[in-house]
Parts: sequence; structure tokens; C-alpha cells
Amino acid sequence: MSTRIIKNSPYKPRAKKVIYYKRESPDSFTIRLDWQLKHEPGQFIFCSLPGIGEAPISICSYSDKYIELNIREVGNVTKALSGIKKGDKLLARGPYGKAYPMELFRGNNVIIIGGGCGVAPLKGVIEYLEKKRKDFKDVSLFFGFRTPDDVLFGKKIPDWKKKFDINISFDKVQKNMKTCYSGKQGFVTQLVDDNVKDNSNKIVFICGPPIMIDKTAELLLNKGFHEDQIYLSAERLMYCGMGKCGRCMIHGKYTCLDGAVFRYDELKDYKDD
Amino acid sequence: MFVRCLYSTEQTKTKCLKINAVQQKLMQQFLLKKGDFSKFVNTAIKDSDFVAPVEGSREKQNTRPFFREISSADEIYLGRKSYYTVKGFFFRENEKIFGFNGNKIINPESELKDTIYFGLRRCDLNGIYHQDIVFLDENEDPFYKARRDASLLIGYHCREGDDYCFCNSMELVDFFDLMFYDKGENYAVETGSEKGNSFVKKYSKFFTKADNAVSDEDRKTVNRKKLNTADIKDDYDNDDWKKGSDICVSCGACNFLCMNCHCFDFEDDVEFDLKAGSRIRKPASCQLRSFTRVAGNHVFRNERNARFKHRIYHQLQYFRERHNVQFCTGCGRCIEGCPVRIDWVEIINEMKK
Repeated sequence: MSTRIIKNSPYKPRAKKVIYYKRESPDSFTIRLDWQLKHEPGQFIFCSLPGIGEAPISICSYSDKYIELNIREVGNVTKALSGIKKGDKLLARGPYGKAYPMELFRGNNVIIIGGGCGVAPLKGVIEYLEKKRKDFKDVSLFFGFRTPDDVLFGKKIPDWKKKFDINISFDKVQKNMKTCYSGKQGFVTQLVDDNVKDNSNKIVFICGPPIMIDKTAELLLNKGFHEDQIYLSAERLMYCGMGKCGRCMIHGKYTCLDGAVFRYDELKDYKDD
Repeated sequence: MFVRCLYSTEQTKTKCLKINAVQQKLMQQFLLKKGDFSKFVNTAIKDSDFVAPVEGSREKQNTRPFFREISSADEIYLGRKSYYTVKGFFFRENEKIFGFNGNKIINPESELKDTIYFGLRRCDLNGIYHQDIVFLDENEDPFYKARRDASLLIGYHCREGDDYCFCNSMELVDFFDLMFYDKGENYAVETGSEKGNSFVKKYSKFFTKADNAVSDEDRKTVNRKKLNTADIKDDYDNDDWKKGSDICVSCGACNFLCMNCHCFDFEDDVEFDLKAGSRIRKPASCQLRSFTRVAGNHVFRNERNARFKHRIYHQLQYFRERHNVQFCTGCGRCIEGCPVRIDWVEIINEMKK
């Protein structure tokens, strides 16, 4: 019997240093990894802590110098990751997934609609648009958060205001509450309904909770948008990122290989599958 | 390994038939006297590990036929298809993906033993062919590859299927290093790869060259059961699926017994110091509710009916759409092993009436 040492396993992560940590909201935080990783907006990586486990996390930046992640504490791995400090290391592998086909959309108006932690993957797209501003026409951002406390990337918002049209809504606002953000009370769908008039030369990216994606897509279709103008993100449990573990399959499509960004017509019938 | 080329359209038919003809020429045929069989196996056991089906009994810890490493030809049982599959030898349960000590990654070791797998039925061999597509075609899985490289696959042809199999309905291909056919006093042996040809050369004293030893009639298998059509594309919303899902207990036996099911989880196993440990791979079942649970406790295939359909659609439609190969090999183990005897083949047949 002989043994072979497996050096180049595709499942093997590498230790990456955390160079920035910021608590973003009561249940989410942003970290920056010292990792020059070639990637596109919409892709994700796997992050893990030895002994705890691994979780897929969307890249929320677009830079050739580092990788930024916004992580919401909802599961074992993400809760454990929240205890990480600047200077610590975590294990990571990637990038995985199909990115937004940004090249296809050059010369178009772009509408970005994010709900809660769904804003995080879209930040990568926004940073891409900032870098290639001249290639795109009007860019409108619609963000919906639960409360003003849940706002993500608050410090970036004034910057984005200068370059893009930005609209924020909060599901709940306490009476007479003073906030740093000018936002309307209500769901993000209301914001979209009030501000988006027609589908001319527009492309829409939606990311957020499933119900928010459903309602927003329905609203846009009623306004005359075509199914191939709408891109949405799917969320599924996954372990390998390479179409082998079978966990993320949606009606024959692997979220890790064919998504997590899908065109609306690819998924419309199987959203709950 | 030769794989008889499949054609899905008329355009590819001519090309595939040509490839098949070339492959056919590379196949060689031999005879092995049944009187020499034990001697042949016992000689091969001295050179390599030898895995074959054995009859189950309480002493052997499995009461139904299963594959295991044998030490003598007397242990081999070819009476009927093994109840348990051979997949666990290639896609190991609790495979160590890597070790860790803090953030330091320790490369894993994979055993490399030359192993002969004997007595694989056509459905088992096709199952390995499908596992190869999943684990080797893109982003090669090094653990699976190490074991496949060290393996020699010897098939044993089924003349007659049992009450559950329907392999003739599933477009199986020729995929083997060697294939044994029972011919009374002899075994007719066909080679299906260069590896198989070399193997016969190594043990040439047992084999006699015999062109035309295997006829088209020999290759046939009689099935009592039939899946009338694997085309269920437009039947997703058919209420008849509930005939199965209403009595399904979501135990996952169908996944466990299936030669094709390959879904898995990763899990971290930590030593007492909570620093060192390893990440291990474990098989997963799409029939369990937790299969699609995401953070926040949302379960996508929450309904049992959706989970039940997912497995069958993966077997009959999704894999074929992606790889142009029918995934299910028609072994019927999922029906035989189901504790409530859900016969999804009959459900589809009735649905299509």
C-alpha cells in the first residue's frame, strides 16, 4: 500500500490576514482581507474558521488590492467570524460563481435594488460602476433597511450620492427619531414604484430576502420591464463551490457554478425549489 | 476506458457511430475456464487488493449482499446483484479533506492501493462512469482520482435482472476494463480499455484468445420491470407525485443505496485542544429537510413532495440536460431499499398512461 499526499486540493483554503474590521450594524460587520484576488462583481468566496466550519460569503468590494466582505451574523460560522479582530487570520478560498455580465450592460442605465444584507454583494457592483462611470448612463440605487440602525456602508453613502441617484427606505422608524440618513418609511418596493417610471434602456440588479426579490421583480414586470432586464441573486446552502456537493442545485442549475447571479427568466419558476 | 458514444441528435449520430466502431475494434475477447476461475482470482489477490460482492449474513455484519475486500475466491457471491453499491470505495465516507492546527493547513494523505473490483454489474459500472463525470471532468477531485487511478473494474454481466431493476430503460453504455459473461463451462471475457488488455496480458496463462466469444445475445439482459419513459419534463406539477411523497418518510435510504447520488457536506472534527483537527467530507441526502436549510432557518425544499421530486428529476432530467447522459442506471436499489416500498417507476408509468 502506498499513500499520496494531496497538495493541490481544490477544497484547500489559505490563511488570509484581516486588515480592517468595522462593525456595520448590530448584527453585521465588514472585514477587509489582505488578498489580491482577481474577481468580478457578484462573485463569492468561502471563509472558514478551523474547527467551526466554512460559509460562502459574497465579495462586497471591487479592488485589485484587497477583498472586502460584509458578514451578517446568522449562523455558526458567521457568528464565530464576528469575533475576529484586525490582524487575525481566517481561511479562505475562491473566487466562485458567475459574475454580473457587466460588459453586456455598457451604455445602459443601471438600477440597483438591495434589501438589508443584500446590499453587500451589490456594493461590489457599485464600486465597479464608480471605476467605470463613463461606460454607463444613469445609475439609481434603491436600498431598503429594517431601521436606520441597520444601514450598511453608511460612510460610503455621501460619496455615492455625488455620483448616483440614491434612495433609501426603512421598514420601521420610531416617532421623532433623528437619523443621519434621509430615508422614507416603508418597503423598498414603494421607493421603486415611486421612482422607476419605465424600462427604457435599463438593467436591474436585485439582491435581498426572497420575498423582497419576488415583490420587486413583480412590480418591475408590471411596469413593462422584460424578464431579461432583471438580474437577481439566489441564496442556497453550499459546501464545495464546484458543482459537486449538490447542495445548491435549483432545478438542475448549480447556484455555485451558474449563479449566484441569475437572469430572472432562468429562475422565475423555481424560486422556492 | 472506452465509453460507447451516445448521440442525442441526428447530426451527432453518424459521428458517434464511427467512434463506437473504432472502440469496438480495440475490444478483445477471451475465454476463461470456470475450472481455472478460483486459481485466477487467488493469483490476482496476491498482487492487488481484490474487492468483490459477498453474500450477507449476520456474521458478516451485513445481512444482504455487499462489496468487500476478499482473501479467497470462495467468498465471491454472484447469485444476484449486490444490495449495497461499491461507491463507498471511491467516494469515501468521512474523507479527510485537510488537517489543521490553528490556521496552519496540513495536506491530507490518500491511500493508493492497486485494487481490482470484481463482479460489478452494468448498472454499477455506469454509476462509476457518472461519478467520474462529477468528480473528474471539471475541477478534479484528487481523493476520488487517486482511488480511480488505482482501480481496475471487472464487470459481471446480468443475464436476468431482479424484481426491481429496469436497466434496459436507461441507455447504459459500455464502461469497463474487463467484462465477464457466463457461458456455461467458461467465462467469456471482453476487454474495454488498455488497462484491461494489459491485465489479461499479465495473467495470460488463464485466458485464451477467442474472437466472437461474446455475441449480441450475450450482452442482453432480461428486465421484468420497465420505465416507459424518462421524459418527465412537463410533469413537475402532476399530482401523481404525491402517491410517493405522501408515504415517504424522508429516511434517505434511496440516496444511500443509489450508485449515482454523490451529494456531500463538510464538517470540522476538532481535537480536545480545540485547535487541531480536520475537515471531513460526509455524504448528504436530498431527502432530509435540512438539505436546503440556509442561515436564518429558511428551508427551500420544505415540502416533502418537492424533495421527493428533486431526487427523481436529478436522476432523469437535470443530469442529462447538463452532461447529455442519463443519470439513473436503473438498478432499482432505491425501490428495493425503500422502507415503504415507493415505486417511483410505476408512479411515472401510471402518470403517463
